[in-house]
Amino acid sequence: MPHVSFGERRFEDDVDYVVVGSGAGGAAAAVVLARAGAKVALVEAGAWREPEHYPSSAYGAMRDLMDDWGASVTLGRALWPVVQARTMGGTTVVNSAIAIRTPADLFSQWEREHGVGGDGLRERVWAAQEVLERELCVEEVPPASRGRSNELAMKGAEAMGMESHWIRRYAKGCAGTGQCLQGCRKQKKQSTNVVWVPEVLARGGLVLSCAPVTRVVLEGTRAVGVEGRFVHPATREQGASFLVRARKAVVVAASVTHSPVLLMRSGVKRRALGRFFRAHPGTGVFGVYDAPVDQNVGATQGWASTQYRERPGLKLETLSIPLELVASRFAGGGTELMKRLGQYRHVAMWCHAVRAESTGTVSPGPFGGAPVVRYTLDADDMERFREGLHLLAKMHFAAGARAVIPGVAGLPFELGQKDVDRLREGPTDPRHYIAVLTHLFGGCVMGADPDRSVVDGEGRVHGYQGLVVADASVIPTNLGVNPQHTIMALARLNAEALLARA
Amino acid sequence: MTWLVRSAMCALYPRAGDLPGLEDCDLDGFLERFHREAPLRMSLGVFLGALVFHLTPLFTVFVPLPAFLLPPPLLDRHASRIAGSGSYWVRQAIFLVKFPAGLCWGAHPDVRRRFALGAYPADPADWRTR
Ligand SMILES: Cc1cc2nc3c(=O)[nH]c(=O)nc-3n(C[C@H](O)[C@H](O)[C@H](O)COP(=O)(O)OP(=O)(O)OC[C@H]3O[C@@H](n4cnc5c(N)ncnc54)[C@H](O)[C@@H]3O)c2cc1C
Ligand code: SF4
Repeated sequence: MPHVSFGERRFEDDVDYVVVGSGAGGAAAAVVLARAGAKVALVEAGAWREPEHYPSSAYGAMRDLMDDWGASVTLGRALWPVVQARTMGGTTVVNSAIAIRTPADLFSQWEREHGVGGDGLRERVWAAQEVLERELCVEEVPPASRGRSNELAMKGAEAMGMESHWIRRYAKGCAGTGQCLQGCRKQKKQSTNVVWVPEVLARGGLVLSCAPVTRVVLEGTRAVGVEGRFVHPATREQGASFLVRARKAVVVAASVTHSPVLLMRSGVKRRALGRFFRAHPGTGVFGVYDAPVDQNVGATQGWASTQYRERPGLKLETLSIPLELVASRFAGGGTELMKRLGQYRHVAMWCHAVRAESTGTVSPGPFGGAPVVRYTLDADDMERFREGLHLLAKMHFAAGARAVIPGVAGLPFELGQKDVDRLREGPTDPRHYIAVLTHLFGGCVMGADPDRSVVDGEGRVHGYQGLVVADASVIPTNLGVNPQHTIMALARLNAEALLARA
Repeated sequence: MTWLVRSAMCALYPRAGDLPGLEDCDLDGFLERFHREAPLRMSLGVFLGALVFHLTPLFTVFVPLPAFLLPPPLLDRHASRIAGSGSYWVRQAIFLVKFPAGLCWGAHPDVRRRFALGAYPADPADWRTR
């Protein structure tokens, strides 16, 4: 019985390694352990949906793929959505599969500020990323799948003299359906549920789906397994309980919000647990063009610029979101809103991800509910945020837009070119903006100092045995680039280190 | 409860020219599914948002009536003003109504046809059991 889903009968088993969470970090670690011949159990809270099970509508994606229906928000000055998936394959199912190597400066920063990475980490991460790029077929978005929004972005960037590029992604022959956020039904995106989870099974592993782990079982300071209760993916009713014992180690990779909370609920005591939450909050600016753009034709994200990563701290990208989301993203109501929506075919959304320095916390929600993220951007970050909007708006005009829709409360719905600088002087209160957090870091940060970190440079929880963290929660800083390539590489290295010690 | 939510949603996304409004998009079917499938706190949030929508015309169009009693032109003006309210919390409350309403409207085949988008196939709502 290698795959066990929602069940009414209690399930127990013994394996070498239990991996909690099948997303970017968890699946990357599990496949390394399985390839080495270890018996691995991959335990995933969400259901296992094959590409033919993916929804097409945004409603279906909220219901079937997103954590908490995509309804988690930051508690802070503004309520900004914190978006992650809850499905086999984790957030790799709904992301755009953008792959960017870890920038060199981060390794020296991690060594200087956190005491990790001095042992050739940079070379090891890059070597792992080279392997990942081959395994997951990283390629540039093919010209036929770019679509007009991505092409306009390149035109705007070139007109402004901005360095930029066609995005490289874990997608083999992207068909340009613009559906990445709902899962790739064309099976082009190489998310972990279609590549590594089946491999773990094929190598004799055990996969549990619909199986949220409620506790890592500890004997003293040694992790010896995990337990939980199956949850029905449609009715959310609880089924039987399960217990999977780990002879060698438990690897926690349940994401930035769930990993710290799971460790807290398991009784792990570390002062830094749940602290140093970080993100790349981002928002989009729509350009309005005379000719139809049809932004949903072409790759969901096909163009990007990393020129502003260091100063002011921004990544710029195209992002086509489904009509259903544009419908509530546009301000207003009544016939005025419908008139605005009438120009849908003529708009292109480009967005930024802010390399924010602000930090927050993650803690357990009341009554066992969803984790609570407390987070507010400080004034410096809000200036970066504003600057990003200004840049995107200028790019739209450079590409030939007749107006932009900035989505800033207090400013007009549309701005013409002569008013574009109003964005630079716009409000710095987060409440005026609609941002989303998709790149998350921290909560179980790595470091040499057990008072300021949760895990060491190999993901081992300080003061505990057989307990490793291998997801985005170990990353102690922001990255300024899309994180999945870094998360996967670090998870692989943590798994290799586990094997080397076994 | 549903009619309150329904009327707020229809006022926010009315029919306009050749663009179908929410009342043309099988909203009842959508709301039935939403209340059955979504977590209770989401349904409650939408209801609270709809309450805010209906109880605030005094502050937008200066008429001491709930929104569901307003004549159409005033209701439309209220929908526009309340959605653009200067209060963050009011905007958030209205967003709670707009978000699911947008999910229903933007997925409807007639609306999608108007924007040269293909109709969505039914969401399979299926998963692997073995
Ligand atoms: C819309 C969107 C687009 C993105 N696009 C990109 C992109 O193009 N490129 C990029 O680099 N990054 C992108 N990201 C970010 C990237 O996907 C994430 O940073 C990355 O997937 C995080 O990896 P992770 O392993 O930490 O968590 P996840 O991938 O989220 O995996 C965590 C898994 O753990 C499971 N889990 C949680 N709690 C439990 C529990 N108690 N028991 C068992 N299982 C549990 C979850 O269900 C989930 O499957 C995007 C994110 C989003 C939301
Ligand atoms: S744009 Fe479409 S085909 Fe390309 S990876 Fe995304 S979902 Fe798949």
